[in-house]
Amino acid sequence: DFEASFIRLIDKVTNGSRIEINQTGTTLYYQPGLLYGGSLEHDCSPSRGIGYYLESLLCLAPFMKHPLKIVLRGVTNDQVDPSVDILKATALPLLKRFGIDGESLEIKINRRGMPPKGGGEIVFACPVKKVLQPLQLTDPGKIKRIRGTAYSVRVSPQMANRIVESARSILNKFLPDIYIYTDHMKGVSSGKSPGFGLSLVAETINGTFLSAELASNPQGQGAAVLPEELGQNCAKLLLEEIYRGGCVDSTNQSLALLLMTLGQQDVSKVLLGPLSPYTIEFLRHLRSFFQIMFKIETKSPEEEEHKGGAKVLMTCVGVGFSNLSKTIR
Amino acid sequence: MGKAPEQEEEDARRRNPRAFAVQSAVRMARTFHRTQDLKTKKHHIPVVDRTPLEPPPVVVVVVGPPKVGKSTLIRCLIRNFTRQKLVEIRGPVTIVSGKKRRLTIIECGCDINTMIDLAKVADLVLMLIDASFGFEMETFEFLNICQVHGFPKIMGVLTHLDTFKNNKQLKKTKKKLKHRFWTEVYPGAKLFYLSGMVHGEYQKQEIHNLGRFISVMKFRPLTWQTSHPYVLADRMEDLTNPEDVRINPKCDRKISLYGYLRGAHLKNKSQIHMPGVGDFTVSDVSFLPDPCALPEQQKKRSLNEKEKLVYAPLSGVGGIVYDKDAVYIDLGGSHAHENEEEEVRPNHELVQSLISTHSTIDAKMASSKVSLFMDSRPLDSEDIERQEFVMPKEERAVDVKTGRVRRKAIFDEEKENHDAVSDEEDDQEEEEMSEDGSDGDDEDDAEEESDREILGEEVVVGSAKRLKREVTKEEAVNELPAFADSDDDLEVSSEGEGKTAPEESDMEGEDSEEQESYENESSDSEFEGVRKGVTKSEQYEINREDEEMRSQISCHNLKKKAVLTTDSGNCTAEEASESEVENSSMEEGGDDEGSHGESEVDALDGKGFRQTREKKMGSVKQTELKAVEDEEDDDVENLLKEEEEYEEKIDFSADTAGALKWKEDLTQKAAQVFLRQQQSTPNLRKLVYGTVAEDEDRESENEDDELGGLFRVSRPDKETKQKANALDCSKFLIEKPQDWDLEEVMSSIRDCFVTGKWEEDKDAAKLLEEDEELYGDFEDLETGVVHKGKPAAEGDESGSEQEEKEGKMSKAEAEEEEKKKERMDKKRKLKEMFDAEYDEGDATYFDDLKEEMHRQAQLNRAEFEDQDDETRVQYEGFRPGMYVRLEIDNVPCEFVLNFDPHYPIILGGLGNSEGNVGYVQLRLKKHRWYKKILKTRDPLILSLGWRRFQTIPMFYIEDHNGRHRLLKYTPQHMHCGATFWGPITPQGTGFLAVQSVSGTTPDFRIAATGVVLDLDKSITIVKKLKLTGFPFKIFKNTSFIKGMFNSQLEVAKFEGAAIRTVSGIRGQIKKALRAPAGAFRATFEDKLLMSDIVFVRTWYPVSIPAFYNPVTSLLQPAGEKDSWRGMKTTGQLRQERGIKLKQNKDSLYKPIVREKRHFNKLHIPKALQKALPFKNKPKNLEKKGKTPRDQWRPAVIREPHERRISALITALSTVNNYKMKKAKVKHRQQLKEYLKVKQKEEEQKLKRQKEAKKKIYRMLGQREKKRQKSSLKGSSEGDKSM
Repeated sequence: DFEASFIRLIDKVTNGSRIEINQTGTTLYYQPGLLYGGSLEHDCSPSRGIGYYLESLLCLAPFMKHPLKIVLRGVTNDQVDPSVDILKATALPLLKRFGIDGESLEIKINRRGMPPKGGGEIVFACPVKKVLQPLQLTDPGKIKRIRGTAYSVRVSPQMANRIVESARSILNKFLPDIYIYTDHMKGVSSGKSPGFGLSLVAETINGTFLSAELASNPQGQGAAVLPEELGQNCAKLLLEEIYRGGCVDSTNQSLALLLMTLGQQDVSKVLLGPLSPYTIEFLRHLRSFFQIMFKIETKSPEEEEHKGGAKVLMTCVGVGFSNLSKTIR
Repeated sequence: MGKAPEQEEEDARRRNPRAFAVQSAVRMARTFHRTQDLKTKKHHIPVVDRTPLEPPPVVVVVVGPPKVGKSTLIRCLIRNFTRQKLVEIRGPVTIVSGKKRRLTIIECGCDINTMIDLAKVADLVLMLIDASFGFEMETFEFLNICQVHGFPKIMGVLTHLDTFKNNKQLKKTKKKLKHRFWTEVYPGAKLFYLSGMVHGEYQKQEIHNLGRFISVMKFRPLTWQTSHPYVLADRMEDLTNPEDVRINPKCDRKISLYGYLRGAHLKNKSQIHMPGVGDFTVSDVSFLPDPCALPEQQKKRSLNEKEKLVYAPLSGVGGIVYDKDAVYIDLGGSHAHENEEEEVRPNHELVQSLISTHSTIDAKMASSKVSLFMDSRPLDSEDIERQEFVMPKEERAVDVKTGRVRRKAIFDEEKENHDAVSDEEDDQEEEEMSEDGSDGDDEDDAEEESDREILGEEVVVGSAKRLKREVTKEEAVNELPAFADSDDDLEVSSEGEGKTAPEESDMEGEDSEEQESYENESSDSEFEGVRKGVTKSEQYEINREDEEMRSQISCHNLKKKAVLTTDSGNCTAEEASESEVENSSMEEGGDDEGSHGESEVDALDGKGFRQTREKKMGSVKQTELKAVEDEEDDDVENLLKEEEEYEEKIDFSADTAGALKWKEDLTQKAAQVFLRQQQSTPNLRKLVYGTVAEDEDRESENEDDELGGLFRVSRPDKETKQKANALDCSKFLIEKPQDWDLEEVMSSIRDCFVTGKWEEDKDAAKLLEEDEELYGDFEDLETGVVHKGKPAAEGDESGSEQEEKEGKMSKAEAEEEEKKKERMDKKRKLKEMFDAEYDEGDATYFDDLKEEMHRQAQLNRAEFEDQDDETRVQYEGFRPGMYVRLEIDNVPCEFVLNFDPHYPIILGGLGNSEGNVGYVQLRLKKHRWYKKILKTRDPLILSLGWRRFQTIPMFYIEDHNGRHRLLKYTPQHMHCGATFWGPITPQGTGFLAVQSVSGTTPDFRIAATGVVLDLDKSITIVKKLKLTGFPFKIFKNTSFIKGMFNSQLEVAKFEGAAIRTVSGIRGQIKKALRAPAGAFRATFEDKLLMSDIVFVRTWYPVSIPAFYNPVTSLLQPAGEKDSWRGMKTTGQLRQERGIKLKQNKDSLYKPIVREKRHFNKLHIPKALQKALPFKNKPKNLEKKGKTPRDQWRPAVIREPHERRISALITALSTVNNYKMKKAKVKHRQQLKEYLKVKQKEEEQKLKRQKEAKKKIYRMLGQREKKRQKSSLKGSSEGDKSM
C-alpha cells in the first residue's frame, strides 16, 4: 500500500522512468528516469508516516533538474517513522553541511495528522546543487541547548503542557537551557485523528543535532498513554541518543553516508554513534551501487571520560558524482 | 647602492610634494582598476589537487602531418632519455625522464579518429610543423580538437628547417609561423626549432633542450581528465578459451589490457568505454608492480644508467612482440641486461629474476609466488632439476593446467640466465650461442617445469639477446585461460605454494598432478561458495567433510563435529554460546590429540583416503603462508579462531560466554575481551561488508576462509532475509534502554553537555588563564587600575597538584618540562596572533578558497597514506599512477583479430550514469572553416566525452518565449541548439562534430563544435505547422470556415485558438459546426471575403530518431582503420544512386511577371458635377480640342521683298545684339577697376587716420603720465606696454 504510494511519488519527481508491476504484485521492474523536480503534490498513504517518504526525498532532492517544492499529505507524526519535526530539526542542518543551502531549503508543517487517519500536510522545498562539498565532521562538541516540540491535536491542550513538565524534570538534571514548545493545532490544521507526542532535539556547540521522539498510541490501538510517562520516556530516549552520540543522530546516519558517497573525489569523515541495522544494510547497498567501501574505525571511550558509548568514525572517498540533470545556461 | 636612490626619491618627495600628488582622480581610479583586473585575470578557480604522490607518466603526443618527422623525433627523444635505440616504435613508449617524472610518448597519425582519441588523453602535445611547407590542415584540425576536449599544453616543433638555403627567408618563415602559432595557441607559446638532421637524426643538443623542456613542464589539470579514470593501454592479451575460439572463431573474446591508470580513481566492475570499440564493464581489475618505476631514493642529482628505464611492450621492449600469428618473447636489449646486473642481488638468482620481473602475465600470481619463495627456503636449480626428473611426462596435465608456454620460455631464460651469471657473465656472443643450444635441449623439460614452477613471468632477465620463440597461436591462447578468473589464479598460486612446501611435493610423488587437479576443483567450489555465499548446505557439506576427515584421526573430534553442525544450524545466540562453551572444553582435550593424530597420519603414508585428507590439509595450509610453525597446530588454531569469530558474529552479548571457550582462566578471559575490543574495527567492517572485505590482510583472511568464510557470508544473508520481512525504517529502536534514573548511568554522559567537564585544551577557564599570561600586565588607563598577570608559578602549582595526585614522579623534571612547554605555547600563540593581525588584511575570498582546497588535498593524501595498496584499493579504488591490468569480457573478435598497435587503445572510465542514453541538448556552432552548412536529420559523427559516435541531431533555435523551434539548417555564423539521442554526458562537456571519419579531404574536416547544455528524457523541439481553411459562409464578422480540420473533436481541441487571414484580419475559433465535418464558426475583426484564406499557426513536437551508432574504427581490418563508414546522409545516397530530387513545381522560383496595372476612369455623376464648385468641376478639355476646318487660320506666305527685309532686320539685330553684349562686358570691366582704385584710396585713408590717432593718443598718454608723476607715484607699467 505505502510502497505503491511511494512508487507513485517517485514517478512524480522523475521524468522518463518506467515502472512495471506484474499482476500479482510480486515483481517490480523499474527503469530509472531523470530527477525532474518542480512544484508537486502528493498524497501519502496513511499507513506510514510522511517521514518515510520524506527521507528518500531528502536524498534525491538536491539532484533534481528544477528545485523541488512538494506538498505531502498524510501522517506527520507516528510511532514508526521519524516524524517531520525531527527531520526538520536534524536533517536540514545536515544538508547544509554538504553545501545544500539557500533560503528555499525548508520543511513547513501546515497541518498535523496523526495515525490512523492522517490529514496532515507539509511543504518541503529544496534547492538543487551541482556538486556536494566533502564533509569533515569528527567533533560533535558539547550540547549547549535542548529544544523540543510537544504537540497535541484533537485532545486537550493541557496534554502538551503535561508532557513538557515531565520531560523537563529529567533533562534539567543535565542542562538548564531547555525549551520545549507546545504546539496545539486546532480546527482544520489538526488532522483527522487525535493524538499527542513529543520530539526533542539537542544541539551542540559545533552545530550537530541529536534527536528523540515519541508519539502516543493511535486511536483505538493499544492502551492509552499518559502524557507524563511519554514525556519521561522521550527524555530518556534523548539521553540514550546522547549516550550513543556521534555527529549525526541515528535516523540520519544513512543520509549523511549517502551524501558523503555522492561527494567529490575527496575524503569525507564523519563520527557516528553505533551503526543502526538500517545503516548497515544501507552501507551494503552503497557498496553494491557505487563500489564504495567505508573505512570504519571504532573509537571506544577513554577512561574518566563521561561521553557515552563507543563511536564509529566513517571515512570514505566520494565517487565524484555531479548533478547530471541540472541545466546550464 | 639600493639605498641612495631611495633617499633621493624621498628628498624629491619632500621638496616637491605637488609633483607626487594625485593629478587626476579618474585616472588614478582607472589605473587601479586596471591593475586589479590584471590581477584577477591571473586567478583560476582553485581546484582540489588530486594528483597522487607518484603520478602516472605524462602522456606526450607527437602530432603532425605525414612525413614531418614524428617517428624520428620520438626515437631521438627516447635515445636522449634512455641512451637506447628503438628500431620500430609501435604504441606508447614509457620512459623515465627524471627523478620525478616519467613520460609516455605516443605518435599520432593523421587519421582523425586517432587524433580525437589522443587529444583526450594528452597532457602535452608536441606539434610538428614542416617549416618548408607551412601549416597543414592536420595541424589546425588537431588544435581545434584540443580546444574542444580541454586544452592540453601544446608545444610547437618546426622541422625541415635545413631546406631553407636563404637565411633571410628562413628568419621570415620562422617569424611568420611563430605568430600564426601564437594566435592559435596563446601568445608566447613555446615553439622549438629543429634545424637540420645529422645521420638521419636531429641534432643532439636541440633534442636535449627539448627533453629538458618537457621534463620540467607543469600542467594545469583538465576537467574531463581529472574527473574520469582512464588508461592508455600499452599491452593487450587475449584470454579467451581456445576451445571456444576453435568452435566459433567469431566468438566474443575476453581480453586483458594493461596500462597506467590516470585521472581519477577507478573502481572495480565499473563501466568503461573504449573509443573505437564500445562500452564494456570491467570484469576484473588488479594492480601490478610498476614496470617502469621511478627511482626509489631521491637524493642523487641525476639518474644513473640503470634507472633510465624504457617500457614499450607493443614495440617489443620489455614485453612481448605481436605478430600475425605468433608471439615473440623479447628478452630485452643490452640495456635490460645491465639492469639485471646492477640490481641489488638477493642471494638467489631465481628469486632475483622473479623480483626483477618487468611484465608479468599476472603479477598478482607472481608476487604471491615471490613472497612464498622469500618466506620458504628459496628454490635452487637442484630442486628444479629434481622435479624435472620426478615428473618427466605430464604433458596432458600440462594442457589442463594450461601449459604456460610463454613462461616456459622464460624459465629457460632464467635458467640460462642463471647459467650465465654463474659463468661470470661471459662474452655475450658466446652466451647467445649457448642459449640457443640449451633452448633446443630444454624445450621438453621446460614445458613441464614451467607450469609447475613459474607462473607467468616473462622476465626481462639476463640474456642479452632477444630470443624469438615462435609458438603457434593456438598454443599461446591455450595457456591463457588459466588466468581467466581470479579464482583460478588464487588456486594456482596456492597450488604452487603447496607444492613448494617440500614435504608435500615429496609425498605426493608421481600422481601429484592429478591430485592437484582435484584440489583445484575442490578448492574452486569452496572458493565459489565463499564468494557468493550461495548455498549453505554445500558449505556445510564441506564442513562436514572436513570434520569427517578429522574424525578418522580421533574420536573426540567426532563429537565436536556433531556440535559444530548443530552450531551452524542454530542461530540463537544463547544456544550457540552454550554449545561453544561445550565445544571449547571438548576441543581443549581434542586439540592435542588431534594434533597427535595428525602427526601420526603424517608419519603414515600412501593411502588414498589419507591422501584426500592431505589435500584438505594442504589447502588449509596453503592459505597460511607462514608455514613456519607446525602445520597441525596452525590448523587447530585456525579452527578456534574461526569459531571465535563466528561467535562474535552471532551476538556481541555472547562475547563473554565465547571467551570461555578459549581458556578457562579468568585473567585470560579478561585479556580476550580486551583483545576483542581492539579487534572490533575489522569485525564491524566484516559485519557490514561480509567476506568480500578481505582487506586487513589477505593472509589472515585466507587463513580462515573455509569455515569462517561460510559463517560470515551466511550471516548477512540471514539478516537481509529478516530485513526483507521487517519494516523498512531508518529509526534505530532501542531494545534495552538503560535506566537513566541511576546516578552512574547518568554520569556516563555527563561530559556531553556544556555543563560537564571540558577537555584540557578547550576549558574556558584554562584558556582565560593562558590569555592572561600572554598579555601579562596591563594598566586600565581609564580607571588607573593596574592589572597584574598571575605569576606563572601559580599555574605551575595547579599543574603540579595534578601531577602529585597522579603519582610520585620526579617533580623537578616534570616542572621543567611543563615550563618549557608553556613557553613554547606562549611563543606559538604570540606568533599566531601576529600572523592573524598581519595577514588578515590580505586574506581575500580567493585566498580562503585556495587554502581550503589545499587543506582538502592534504587530507586526501594523508587519509590512506599508511595503508597498504590492497586495503587502499578497497576503500578508494585504484588510484591514478598504478599500473593496472583490466579484464574485459565480450569484446568483439575483430578487435583481437585486427589488432594494430599503431592505433591507441584507450580505456575511458565512465561516471555513474554516463553509460545511459538519453536526449542530450547541445549548444552548437558550425565551424567557420567548414565549407558547407549542416542539415537537420543528417547523420553526424560526434566526439563527446570519451566517445565517438554517429547520431542524428536536430537543430533548433530558442525563441524569445523559450520555445525551441526546429531549424532545417545550421545558421551560418551563429550558435544554435541541437538535440540528439545518445550517451548521457555531464553538462559543460565540449564536443566536436565531423561529417565523416573516413578518408582524407583537402577541406577542413571539423564541421561543428559546441558544448553540452542539458540532459533530458523528453524533448522540447517543435516545428511550425500552419493549417489552412476557407470560408464557406460569411456573415458580418462571423464566418464559417471549412477545410482546416477533419472532425469535430479536432476543432474542440483548438477552440479559442487565434486564426488569421492572409490579408491580416485576425480572428478566433469559436465552435465546431455539425454540417461538414471539421467546419467551425469563427469570428474576425472584420468581414472576410470569400477569396480569403484563413490559417491557424500551431506547433508540432518533433520526435528525434533514436539513432546512436558508436564509431567502431578499431574493429576495422588492419590498414583500413581509417575507413569507417557509418550511415550515409540522404544527399550522399542520392548522389551515389543518381536519384534526382523531385521538386514541387510550386516551390520553384520563376521570374515574377507583373501585369501593368490598369485603372478605370473616375466617373463623376452629372448631378454631382453640377453641384460642384467651378474649381472642382471636371474640365472636359478634350471636348474643344478639335477645331472645325472653317475656323482654321491660313498660313502666311511672304513676298520675296518682304523676305529680304526681314532677313536684313534679323541680321542687323544680331549685330546690334553682339555690340550691346560687348559694351556690357566692357562696362563691367571698367567698374571693377574703378572699385579697385577706390578701395586702395580708402585703405590709404584709413591708414593715415590710424597713424594720426596713434599720435594723438600717445600725446595724450604722455600728458597723462606726466600729470600723474607730478601728482603721485607713477605707474610705469601701463606706459611700457604701449
